[in-house]
Amino acid sequence: MRCHSVAGTTSPSAVATYATLREIEDRLKSIRNIEKITNTMKIVASTKLTRAQRAMTESRKYGETSNEVFEAAETKPLEGEGKKQLIVVCSSDKGLCGGIHSSLSRYIRRTTPDGPPFDLVILGEKCKAQLGRTNGQNIVLSFAGIGKDVPTFADAQAIADQITQLSGDYSDVKILYNKFINAQSYEAAIIEAFNEEAIAASANFSAFEVDDEVLANLREYSLANSLYWALAEGHACEQSARRNAMDNASKNAGDMISKYQILFNRTRQAVITGELVEIITGATASEDM
Amino acid sequence: MVFAWKAAGLTYNRFLAVSARAVRRSLKEEKRLVAERRGEMDLRFAKWEDGKQGDVKHLAQANTAANAASSS
Repeated sequence: MRCHSVAGTTSPSAVATYATLREIEDRLKSIRNIEKITNTMKIVASTKLTRAQRAMTESRKYGETSNEVFEAAETKPLEGEGKKQLIVVCSSDKGLCGGIHSSLSRYIRRTTPDGPPFDLVILGEKCKAQLGRTNGQNIVLSFAGIGKDVPTFADAQAIADQITQLSGDYSDVKILYNKFINAQSYEAAIIEAFNEEAIAASANFSAFEVDDEVLANLREYSLANSLYWALAEGHACEQSARRNAMDNASKNAGDMISKYQILFNRTRQAVITGELVEIITGATASEDM
Repeated sequence: MVFAWKAAGLTYNRFLAVSARAVRRSLKEEKRLVAERRGEMDLRFAKWEDGKQGDVKHLAQANTAANAASSS
């Protein structure tokens, strides 16, 4: 195949054909490499996905159980006058996983202009970059280093600690995360975390006989619980989305490879036929002389 | 009733993290290695002001420092 490229430069059309042949070959090679890479990433994401899903089911049970108290107590967010909301966005540091980060950012951009004033706490580099452009004024805290592995409860606790130490007085805390519906679809959803006044003011609160002093602990702990839930579910969504994205990328690369292979073979045939025609015509012409 | 850890300026989450670490460390060797991976935390954070990102700090160190400051 290589010997074709050492053709003479006599006719411009022939040069063009040889060049494209070479180009197609290079293109094919690079697409093959891309396919290998995306395929490997897909396999890695698949293995991580099983672990992430297990962590998600466990953490979901955990978070739901923790929220049962508030459901039973019929806790509602207080209609704080002039108080800000705090929205915690759970994304991660890694990209290449389809649109799950931007769906969170879009949710923020869609819902916040009509809502009350708010501040943002952002977990993960991806949403930080996206929201930093449009809502930079609202960001008070950002965290990085999320999404390397399955999130641990220690992560959630440390984040919850920082959030409780924030100086602002917030009417309620909303945790925005990707809800895992099935392996193909996710949607941005919200977990409510209440502040102490809201818990104390809830309708059925007296049934629990909680001392005022431990109320703050309950609040901190339930914030950590909800964060852990959101982080684990978001992580599972991310892995699943990455698996799908890489699956599609490999498929597309496969399609392109077969297309280019056919194009390559046809062009090569055409070049050979052209050469044969030239040789035969030349031979016949010189015979007749 | 005032808890000792509350008096020392720890938050409830910090208190839980410390006690969980103590429990993990007292496990037997092979169980401990598995369990300690669940307690790992390597996050960085930054405070924002007026749409500008501040310095990036390590979360673990910052939390310890904050707890130390509130106890004194």
